[in-house]
Amino acid sequence: MRPALAPPGPRQFGPVNWRGMWSLYRRQFLHYLRNTGHSIIGPAMTSLIFLAIFQLALGDRGDPLPGVSLAAFLAPGIVMFSLASGAFEGAGVSLFHDKIEGMIGDILSAPMTPLEVVGTLILAAAGNAMLTAMAILAIMAVFIEIPLHAPFAVAGFALAAALLFASIGVIAGICAEHWEHYSAAETFLVFPIALLSGAFFAVSRLPAEVQWLFKANPVFHALEGFRFGFIGQAQESLALAAGVLLSLVGAMGILAWWLYARGYKLKV
Amino acid sequence: MDTHSISRRPRALGAVTSGPRDLGAVNWRGLWTLYLKEVRRFLNVFTQTLLAPMVTTLLFLAIFALALGGAGREVDGLPYIQFLAPGLIMMTLMQNAFANTSSSIVMAKVQGNIVDVLMPPLSAGELTLGFAAGGVTRGLMVGCAAGAAMSIFVTLPMADPLSVIYHAVNGALMLALLGVIGGIWAEKYDQMAAVTNFVITPFSFLSGTFYSIERLPSDWQFIAHFNPFFYLIDGFRYGFLGRSDGSPLLGYAVVLGVNIALWALAHRMFATGYRLKP
Repeated sequence: MRPALAPPGPRQFGPVNWRGMWSLYRRQFLHYLRNTGHSIIGPAMTSLIFLAIFQLALGDRGDPLPGVSLAAFLAPGIVMFSLASGAFEGAGVSLFHDKIEGMIGDILSAPMTPLEVVGTLILAAAGNAMLTAMAILAIMAVFIEIPLHAPFAVAGFALAAALLFASIGVIAGICAEHWEHYSAAETFLVFPIALLSGAFFAVSRLPAEVQWLFKANPVFHALEGFRFGFIGQAQESLALAAGVLLSLVGAMGILAWWLYARGYKLKV
Repeated sequence: MDTHSISRRPRALGAVTSGPRDLGAVNWRGLWTLYLKEVRRFLNVFTQTLLAPMVTTLLFLAIFALALGGAGREVDGLPYIQFLAPGLIMMTLMQNAFANTSSSIVMAKVQGNIVDVLMPPLSAGELTLGFAAGGVTRGLMVGCAAGAAMSIFVTLPMADPLSVIYHAVNGALMLALLGVIGGIWAEKYDQMAAVTNFVITPFSFLSGTFYSIERLPSDWQFIAHFNPFFYLIDGFRYGFLGRSDGSPLLGYAVVLGVNIALWALAHRMFATGYRLKP
């Protein structure tokens, strides 16, 4: 007679469910890789087109900042736009899609704390968007000369911006009840702040009355630091930019975590 | 006597009405139903289909106005913003006409409800017309909305209204037909995204919306003349401003010729059931 097998007890894990986090991260990453057309090739194509049309439309107007060519000025701006919208979409679409298709239950019922889930979603979306941004930079470098002044500033500000927009994406994904809501957040909030951030023109050249409007835009600060990493000059203090970004990342991250932990529009 | 007795019999009403409905040469009711379905499909989500393109177009206008720093940049003696506005209207009109037909057909194919369109007694011509008309309607509505929003910020003269209407309708039709063809060809969303990314977006952005193609190096100028979207944008702009990069008459002919060819192709795809009927 065979000895009776003891039923398997619950899996033990320490204070952090690393395996759960890794599984969720892997899922988000594989999903990103499966949709290369939408997640990498599309943004890369759009970025190159932006670069071309701005060169053709504005190429005869001289340098936007002293000693900086138009291409070197535009490239970081275009990459930052792609990074911000990509991080937002990566987190928002994925969460919202899971929600309306009912798959969110798989994540909600997993033995993961809200912090683990939200943290992983934000990190995965930010990481994916950074990969796209790197691909776009690599493609652009084939056509134009991109200086690199401070690699750490580039990486740091890119990461901060990606985390910020991934958090906003999670919030939008949780709050939206229809595709309409989600796309309204994208069209009326994310695109305007990402496009009107000084990506395509030097804010310091604008009239003083409208400058404050841009300085209230977090993407402007992210872009200042990011562009500084390439061209070595900024129109604003970098400490201020870093401070604004970090506090916003913190605030949006906490809001996303709090909404998820409450189960707002997630748990019936 | 005989006929009288027949007429007194209770009339077999059911038998008469259950016969095939006589459609005549054109199934107007079917065509109208398909058209209404196509229009209601985008009106249902008008934030995404009407308001969003309007806002995006205004954003582009704002960016270019700011990037130029308010300095008196001119193209052929016209303020740059005035040069830009018609191009932007046309671009958003084209992209939306394309999005309507292509997304409708690809979604129906992926979800399997394309049979609802293939089963009814609609001929290939009626299918082509119904889908294309839906796309044209969306394109023109978005174009009008974008134009109205822009005219708050930019004064747009109207040098030749006929040219404006001709190019708006034909531009919407061209892209709606391209959307039908692309939608029938694509078997997955990814393939549709590829058509949008590699054909529609580059051709519509690089067609002289943002700059006069005289700014291009001469070999590229030559190539730009093979882009039918160039003639649409150029002719549309001519209708507003009375200046054009290319010859207006050639533009009229090219646009018409391309549309006839695309219509024939779309019609043939529906008639043969290419990638529609297994």
